[in-house]
Amino acid sequence: MLKNSNWKSIGTVLGETFIDCFYFSLKNYKAKKGDIVTTDSKVPSSEGKIIPVTVWGKISTIESSNAFFPTEAAQELTNEDIDIRDTILPTTRDELICKVVILGYTKDEDKSSKLLPLIYPVRPAATVKYPSSEDVEALLISDLNSSHPIYIGSLLAREAVKIRIDADNLVSRHVSIFGMSGSGKTVMVRRIMHEMLCKNYPMLVLDIHGDYLGFIQKQKELYPDNKIKLFYPNLSVNSEDKEIIYTLIDKLGKPLTDPQKDFLNSLLEKVKYEGGSLLKYVKLLNQRSREYASEGSTSFKNIRPASMYVVARSLGQVAKKLENMEQTNFRHRKKMSKLKFVELADPATEPEKIISKGQLSILYLKGYETLPASAIVSILLENLFKHRQEVNEEIPPFLTIIEEAHNFIPSRSENKDDLPSVETIRKVITEGRKFGTGIMIISQRPSRLDETIASQCNSQIIFRMVNQRDQKATRDRSETLDVDDSKQLPNLANGQGIISGQVVNFSLPVQIKFDEKLINEDIGNENFIDTVENWDDSEAVKERQKFAQDFSDISDMDNRSAN
Amino acid sequence: MSTEINIKDKIKRNSSMFVNFVKSAVTASPKVQNNFLDVSAKVAETVLKIVKDADLVVDLNYKGKEFWSENRCKTACFVDGGVDKTSIISSAPLSIRAGSYVVKPDAISKREYFEESMVFLGDLYDPKNELYDFIDDDFEEDQMLNKKKDGARIIFEAATIVKHILLNKKFDYCFLHGPIEGTVMPFSVPGFPTFTKFAIENMFPFAVNKKTDVAARHFINVYLEALNYIKKGKFPIYGIVETSNSAPYVKNLLYNYKSQGKISDKDYNNFIKIIKKYKITDSHLLEIILSSGQALKPIEIKKQIQGFTVTTGSSWEDKMESFPKVFIGYIKTTDNNSPIRIESLNNSKNLIKDYEYILGTSRLLPNYGFPVGLNVVDKFAKIPNWMSKASRKYYATHLLRQAVKNKDQNTISLAVKILSKKARSWRNRPIGGITK
Ligand SMILES: Nc1ncnc2c1ncn2[C@@H]1O[C@H](COP(=O)(O)OP(=O)(O)OP(=O)(O)O)[C@@H](O)[C@H]1O
Ligand SMILES: [Mg+2]
Repeated sequence: MLKNSNWKSIGTVLGETFIDCFYFSLKNYKAKKGDIVTTDSKVPSSEGKIIPVTVWGKISTIESSNAFFPTEAAQELTNEDIDIRDTILPTTRDELICKVVILGYTKDEDKSSKLLPLIYPVRPAATVKYPSSEDVEALLISDLNSSHPIYIGSLLAREAVKIRIDADNLVSRHVSIFGMSGSGKTVMVRRIMHEMLCKNYPMLVLDIHGDYLGFIQKQKELYPDNKIKLFYPNLSVNSEDKEIIYTLIDKLGKPLTDPQKDFLNSLLEKVKYEGGSLLKYVKLLNQRSREYASEGSTSFKNIRPASMYVVARSLGQVAKKLENMEQTNFRHRKKMSKLKFVELADPATEPEKIISKGQLSILYLKGYETLPASAIVSILLENLFKHRQEVNEEIPPFLTIIEEAHNFIPSRSENKDDLPSVETIRKVITEGRKFGTGIMIISQRPSRLDETIASQCNSQIIFRMVNQRDQKATRDRSETLDVDDSKQLPNLANGQGIISGQVVNFSLPVQIKFDEKLINEDIGNENFIDTVENWDDSEAVKERQKFAQDFSDISDMDNRSAN
Repeated sequence: MSTEINIKDKIKRNSSMFVNFVKSAVTASPKVQNNFLDVSAKVAETVLKIVKDADLVVDLNYKGKEFWSENRCKTACFVDGGVDKTSIISSAPLSIRAGSYVVKPDAISKREYFEESMVFLGDLYDPKNELYDFIDDDFEEDQMLNKKKDGARIIFEAATIVKHILLNKKFDYCFLHGPIEGTVMPFSVPGFPTFTKFAIENMFPFAVNKKTDVAARHFINVYLEALNYIKKGKFPIYGIVETSNSAPYVKNLLYNYKSQGKISDKDYNNFIKIIKKYKITDSHLLEIILSSGQALKPIEIKKQIQGFTVTTGSSWEDKMESFPKVFIGYIKTTDNNSPIRIESLNNSKNLIKDYEYILGTSRLLPNYGFPVGLNVVDKFAKIPNWMSKASRKYYATHLLRQAVKNKDQNTISLAVKILSKKARSWRNRPIGGITK
């Protein structure tokens, strides 16, 4: 396949070799961890011939050691304050031993460059070569064999090697993106979204922090042919959502006794609602329950009016909470006055307003507590999924992007498993392949995610991760993450991630391309120092300060005379 | 009397002498066991008296920082050999090498380098091996094989030093890990093979005219020639031995005293017997006598001794006398180690400076107490683990394949080479017999 005559030799294969890996001693500074290297070898063909091949591998560890430096010498050097360079101790004998994970081989005479699994170990003492960037890239792309490759960044060890991932697997086989705060998850997601927008693939983003509002700001400039819609949630319910409503009231309101719960259930049965805002419904329930209580209604068996009042008060509290959340969300929206927010369409009746070809829908969830947010998402996804399941599909396949996923799909051990979104997402993700409802899960805390859902993700993109439990959870739930690569996790810099699974050929450390244009300019970075520097007290504060000293003086004097 | 108690104390406290004795005490008679402490203490006291009388004890000077700022300009070369102890039935694949570590701390460029001075990779049962002439002997014992390995290693080490002299290297010091002159007696056995012409040519190019003479290629002759060459070297060359299993220094010292009439023949003979009986060695005694930083000036000793049964009457008997005498001294480099033995073929002009250099370089290896450069080259010369494993595996499969193919042991041939290499790295060279 590729011509390898001009590839530089960078080392020599050592001792024992295996089918899946070999070690080599590296010349100083000639390659890095994560680099792709090759060595010429021979393998027996199925016809019994011996054919020359190029074996490709990835440097998974590099160890440097000065085997010749006796550690005990350090003692004398320190005690006597001796400079090692004055002594006969060796100072320049660092030896670099690299472990190479074998990726496969290509036949030298073949035109195609699909990596085949190695069936015969490489030769000890063979030369290890450094293939040119173009050749590595060519190999990766032809091996990926993707009908829709999308560009996401470059090989961490080698900027010149562009990395592409397979969009088909991305949208159907689910992806998880993990990493600690600030490690580059959102930047990565925006990169993918950018590419998918260019392909007109419908997407729905659950945005808690407003990380994706940059798409709206740049719509005219960058995506003139796409629709980008910004929704704010409305907790819109209909009679079918009774269970969710019950859970919401139960969890948001006061703790209820069994008879009180019975009353609430019967109330939900009795008070019919033809659909619409949950808040309105709760208010209605509150009003009705008061009425029943004051009438001393007997239509509820064994329930005393006092219990009814309790439920009424609880409903009042729920209504207040819902109102508050709506208010908070509203205030945040108001801050971004340049952006046009619209109320989330009813997914049951107008799904096409949310999912349509070339459209990106952003659901801005800021201000909502976990439970209501979960309910909103559950109802939304449940309905959209239903439309995909139906024979006359009303909406095209789409990709759902779930930021801060631990809020929606917490692990059982978090004791939040009655969050309605868990069940829904579990269903959507399991059947996603069939119905084109791909999901992208983003979280800082993979160890806190629902195990079933997380392990349904066939591809992973992992960024810096320091927490041991999260590292373990990540490893446990991925079949494809390279063990040696995963050791690198705590040391990755911003935007450096390890991609593994079906969207790539093999586990690859990648530097993600940073699309600065897609940052939400209204939020920007949290730069509190600058904020303080430009701080001007509000009018009210200024007014108060006018008299503050006077009042303070008075109370001082008062205190003095008291003595 | 106080010295005696002091010495007894020392013996009990931390000397290897005591440990050694306790180990062998099981076999010693109760009487020997009972008397051990008293006898050994008395022996030590007496030897101490004699070395003082002979003015052999010197106090060496060492101040860490000063020492190195004075000596950073010195070029030192450290030499060691290594043998891979691979053993496979019906073949004797072997890797032997001798390496040098050369360092000049203050050099602007290339302050240090390693060199594989001599390398052999091959099979000693292969008739075409390029190290030893082949002698077909179906009943060869392991012992002979081990002798061949040892012989090869000793010759490689000597050849390495010879090469440095030949190439006119400007060393201030050269150290060999091991005796500067080994005992040749074991190689005088009948049937010990001669080195090949090829081997001699590569190791001792100056001996070209001798290569036609078969006897001249025998270990003993080759080694003698090498030692004579080394003796003429322009820089000080020392062999450093970590522990002594015998008591050459003490015995020779007393022999000299006997010769001078300072000790009676009877006392001398008794003393030799006692040393044997109580298994007292130079290391044991000197560990007690010397304190850290002290040395014993060298005395001249004959290494090759006539009258052994193996050599008696053989053609080698006379050769023994031709071997150069060796100067042997001791330095106690640290508190916790036995003194190290310093051997050289010449009496040094700057003995104290030389010994101080050895002391200084040993202080960087406090747990072993010998020059750190030798530890460095030792690691280098040891056949690396991966190498042994790999060679073992490949020789095994290769030889098997060959044997099956030819159905004839004798046709087994490995592509082996003795390389007198300069810059090529060990690792970059194909393993003998693998690449075709
Ligand atoms: N690929 C990249 N190249 C350069 N800088 C990056 C890259 N990725 C992230 N960064 C930097 O790191 C910052 C934080 O990245 P990002 O917002 O993606 O983090 P995050 O993982 O989503 O964090 P959180 O979990 O807090 O949301 C970015 O604003 C940017 O400055
Ligand atoms: Mg983020």
